[in-house]
Amino acid sequence: MIAGNIYGVVLNDRPQLVRMAGDFAMPPYKKPPEAPVLYIKTRNCLACDGSDIVLDADLAQVEPAATLGLLFGRPAIKTSRENALDCVAGICLALDISESEDSYYRPTVRQRCRDGFLPLGKFGAFDPEILKASIGTSVNGMAVHAWSSERLARDAATLIADVSSFMTLAAGDLLLIGLPHDAPRARPGDRVQVDCAGLSPLAIRFKSIGTA
Amino acid sequence: MKRARIAYQGSAVWTELVDNDSALRLGNGEIIPAADAQWLAPVTPGASIFALGLNYADHVKELGFKTKEPPLIFLKGANTLVGHLGTTVRPDDANQMHPECELVAIIGKPARHVTADKALEHVGGYTIACDYAIREYLENYYRPNLRVKNRDATTPLGPWIVDAADIPDPQALRLRTLVNGNTVQNGTTADMVLDVAGLIAYLSETMTLLPGDMILTGTPQGVHFCAAGDEVICEIEGIGRLVNRLVAEPKP
Repeated sequence: MIAGNIYGVVLNDRPQLVRMAGDFAMPPYKKPPEAPVLYIKTRNCLACDGSDIVLDADLAQVEPAATLGLLFGRPAIKTSRENALDCVAGICLALDISESEDSYYRPTVRQRCRDGFLPLGKFGAFDPEILKASIGTSVNGMAVHAWSSERLARDAATLIADVSSFMTLAAGDLLLIGLPHDAPRARPGDRVQVDCAGLSPLAIRFKSIGTA
Repeated sequence: MKRARIAYQGSAVWTELVDNDSALRLGNGEIIPAADAQWLAPVTPGASIFALGLNYADHVKELGFKTKEPPLIFLKGANTLVGHLGTTVRPDDANQMHPECELVAIIGKPARHVTADKALEHVGGYTIACDYAIREYLENYYRPNLRVKNRDATTPLGPWIVDAADIPDPQALRLRTLVNGNTVQNGTTADMVLDVAGLIAYLSETMTLLPGDMILTGTPQGVHFCAAGDEVICEIEGIGRLVNRLVAEPKP
C-alpha cells in the first residue's frame, strides 16, 4: 500500500501552540520547538477503509485524529517552499490513532504504533484545493469534530520544505500534515468516519479483543 | 551462515558469504570476490526500524540520565541506512557528531504477545549498526528527534546478517568502535538494560513485529566527536566489522 516511510508531525496546530506557549518555557522542554516535531508510523499500523481496528484490553479509549496524508511522487531534498507541492503526487484521508498523550518529551512509539493505528482512505490525485477543505469526523453517525489545514502552523508546503532541509522525503513516502489537539475520543464498539470534500471518505470500527 | 545484500549488475541481490567470507555466492550459483562487492544495507524493504536510547547502564551514567523505565524506543526511516564501506555526511556545524556501535536483531518470524523466554525464537539474525548522533541538533521534543536520528545515510548497517543459529547468546558479545584505529567504545552486550529477548517481548505486547523488522539495541559508553575524513569501524564479536567514512558536506 505504502512503499516508503510514513512520517507525521505533532505541535503543528496553531491553537495548541498558543495554549502550550507557557509550557514550552518550562522543563523538560525549556524552549519552544524549532524543527518540525516528527514521528514515524510503522507498517503494522496500516489499515484500509472499512477495517475493524481491534483494541487491546488495556485500552479503554483512543484518540482518532483525522488528517491528510500526502504521497510523494518525487523526492523532496532541500526543497524550497515554492517547489514543495510539486513533489506530491497523491493525497488521502488518514486517521492517526494514538493513546492520549500529555508529554512531547520522549518518542511515543508504544502509544502511536499499535496494529491498525493508521487507517488510510483511498488515494486521489493531489490537488492543492483539497488542502483548504474542512476535515470532519463523526462517531456513531454524530458529527463531533471538524478542522482544516488553515489551523496548521506550518502549511503543507512549509512543512515539506522544513523537513526536507535535513532529511529526504522520498518518492513513495507518506507525510501526515498535522494533528488537531482537540481530536475526539473513541471506545470499542464506536464507528468513526472521516469526510473531506474531494476525497473518498474513510470509515472504521473499533472492536475490543475477543468480540465478533 | 552470513547473508549480504549487494548491488550487482543493476540489481539489489541477496548473496551468501563463502570461502571464509572472502567471496559471495549469488542466487544463480555464481561466485564473486567479496572485495568487488558494492555492499548495501542488509534490510528488507518496508521493514520497521526500532532503535533504543539509554539501553546500556554505563552510557546512561555517562550522559547524566537515570535509567528509563519504560525503555526509550524511537524509530528510523530506511533513508537513514547506508551499507558497509559507505560514506556519511558530517554537516559543517556538527562538532558533536559521534558514532554509536549497536547490535541489531532482525526479526525472522512474526511476533505478537511473545514472552521473553520464547522471544529469541523470533530472531532471524543479527547485524551491526553505527547509529550516529549529532548532539547540536537535539531538541527536547520527541527526543532524540528526527533531525538528530533520521538524516539520510547516517546509520551504516552491515556488512551482512549472521544467522541467529550462529549466535547462541546475543548477550555475551564484545562490541567496540574504532576511529582512525583508536578504540573509542569498548563494551559488551551483557551490559544492556533490556536485553534482546526483553525488547522483543516489550514491543510485541502492543504491536506485531514482522520478518525483516530491525531492533537497534543501543550503545555502550564512549562519546567521541568525529571529524570529516575519519574512518569509523564498528565491530561485534561473531558478526564482523562495519566500516564507514565521514565526509564533509558537498559544496554546491
